[in-house]
Amino acid sequence: MTKTMTGLATAVAAVAVLAGGALAQTDTIRIGVIKPITGPLAFDGNNSVNGAKLAVDEINAKGGVLGKKLELVVEDGQCKPADSVTAAEKLMVRDKVPVVMGAFCSGATLAVMPVAERNKVPLITGVSSSPKLTEAKQSWFFRNAESELMTAQAFAAILYEKMGLKNIYYLAVNDDWGRGTVGAFKETFEKIGAKTMSIEYVDRTANDFYTPLTKIRAANPDVVIVVAETQAGSIITKQARELGLKSKIFGVGAWATPTFMNLAGDAANGVFAGVVYASTATGDANKMFVDNFKKVFNTDPGKYSAGGYTTINVIAQAIARAGAAEPDKIREALTKTDVQAPNGRIKFDSHHQAYGWELVLVELKDKVPHIRATGVAKSPYD
Amino acid sequence: MLDVALQFLVNGLVTGSFYALMALGLAMIFGLMEVVNFAHGEFFVMGGVVAYAFCNVLGVDFYLTIVIVVALMFAFGAATDYLLIRPLRGQHLLSTALVTIGLSIFLINTMLLTFGTSPQGLDAPFSRKPIIIGEIVITEGRLFAIVVGAVAIVATHILIQKTRLGRAMRATFQQKEAAALVGVNVERVYTLTFALGTAMAAIAGVLLGAVFVIHPSTAELATLKAFVVVILGGMTNLPGAVAGGLLLGVVESLWGGFVSTGYMDVIGFALVIFILLFRPYGLFAPRPGR
Repeated sequence: MTKTMTGLATAVAAVAVLAGGALAQTDTIRIGVIKPITGPLAFDGNNSVNGAKLAVDEINAKGGVLGKKLELVVEDGQCKPADSVTAAEKLMVRDKVPVVMGAFCSGATLAVMPVAERNKVPLITGVSSSPKLTEAKQSWFFRNAESELMTAQAFAAILYEKMGLKNIYYLAVNDDWGRGTVGAFKETFEKIGAKTMSIEYVDRTANDFYTPLTKIRAANPDVVIVVAETQAGSIITKQARELGLKSKIFGVGAWATPTFMNLAGDAANGVFAGVVYASTATGDANKMFVDNFKKVFNTDPGKYSAGGYTTINVIAQAIARAGAAEPDKIREALTKTDVQAPNGRIKFDSHHQAYGWELVLVELKDKVPHIRATGVAKSPYD
Repeated sequence: MLDVALQFLVNGLVTGSFYALMALGLAMIFGLMEVVNFAHGEFFVMGGVVAYAFCNVLGVDFYLTIVIVVALMFAFGAATDYLLIRPLRGQHLLSTALVTIGLSIFLINTMLLTFGTSPQGLDAPFSRKPIIIGEIVITEGRLFAIVVGAVAIVATHILIQKTRLGRAMRATFQQKEAAALVGVNVERVYTLTFALGTAMAAIAGVLLGAVFVIHPSTAELATLKAFVVVILGGMTNLPGAVAGGLLLGVVESLWGGFVSTGYMDVIGFALVIFILLFRPYGLFAPRPGR
């Protein structure tokens, strides 16, 4: 008796869930999102989600897409390949979302790509920067972010030719992004004649960088290229000043953000950063984005928020052009992307690599990123 | 070369002070209670988070904050023992280990929810300006960390060697049944030991906020490093834990300085494997057994 009752209850619950799912599908378009919501990259991951939420709110306020409201289904991939794959399977198989944005870290995105391929659901990243991801021509994967090679190509020339920095030291977090970025910079720099002094890799959750910085101080390079996210980057900047490092610092990562500048304080003055997005950039699209972001989140947006925001806009435009929220139609429409983002006009090349942002070289001063030079990100393939 | 080596040595001593403080608490808890505390790194970060709440949010004076944190975390440690560890007394090592693993997951996610995901520094009254002694650079905050670490360690030593509670602790450590027979309140000794170990990790957490930044993600590596140090020093050897902490800090720094910073964290774990293979009772144990 009890068993039958339990079985019955389960069946009823299952039907209710299915019905609920079907219901949700008819009046909203759901977009899957995989980001690190917990763990060491939670801060940057949540910023990315916040940018995405703002884009969804703006679009819904104007009536949504194809007469339906957009809805985000956010999963925590923790930047770990295994967790990100689980999240992707859940989104694509159970939730049946027609498109997924993710998964932040290149390693995690790389793991999710075959899942997207198998389920035939378009996957777009607004963050992952490893050149590996778009090396081969892609069918279901799109990258709405600059690859490490694009960053290096845009900035190496400015640093070497315009600023006269010839002896380069690298300090990077010990992961695929850190190592990939150093590799891309080293290759580009050496091609134009700059000298690599040495490379130091550090743990991204470490607190004390006195040891590598002491080595760098003794070597006295013209510039230290520091590849690190907010937490490690701000500590490195502070400790470099404490140790009296005289070399210039050029940061790669989310360095032009309010959180970074607050954490680093006075130490951030005079630091250079190469970023794909600076809240101080000119243009109406950026002004509207910054104003709206400030209204909701009470702070200036940074690189990852801009990435999340633009990616959702790219997706929404593709759904509108596709005329239906179906994976294959969205994929087809994505290849024709032409979106005015806060930081440039975005299109995809034959490898589904986006291009067209204005990359900016900023100098941080009194908690404001001052733009010193700009360059447009070009497609590395076409 | 020499000046750089001295700088590495000083850098290592700063990190070593953190390791020593963490490991001392962990070794006490294991030595006396045979509890493997996997939540030790979380207690450490929690010290920083509580300090942030008082110092930055409520604007309490930094030095007063240290006192408040020690008191609160001592109470928290006592409550943890009373509610979670005491019901499992006398059970296998693994039962309490599982409880502390659960506690660590609970604490880290609670901290992520309340403290947030953004790293934060404490409003400590230290100047960022470096103090230069010869060729060596150090800051007020770092000096303070070394001094506080040393004071806490010496105070613990005096507590264990000179006080009545310390005698009770040593008696329990040697033979808990005999200690109970001669009238030592073993339960009370356990609770106080756990509280003391928690408070010591929390002091390290405050120093973390004063010198570096507080972030919940620091906890995991901190727990691992504390275990490394405890194994280095000998699982139940308190002076060994302190010496092991300073040693690991210095060795890591020299290794990073002269060999490779990328493999800095490997050195501790590699050492542990070798020590477990060749000196399983720790570097400083005179002979097996106690």
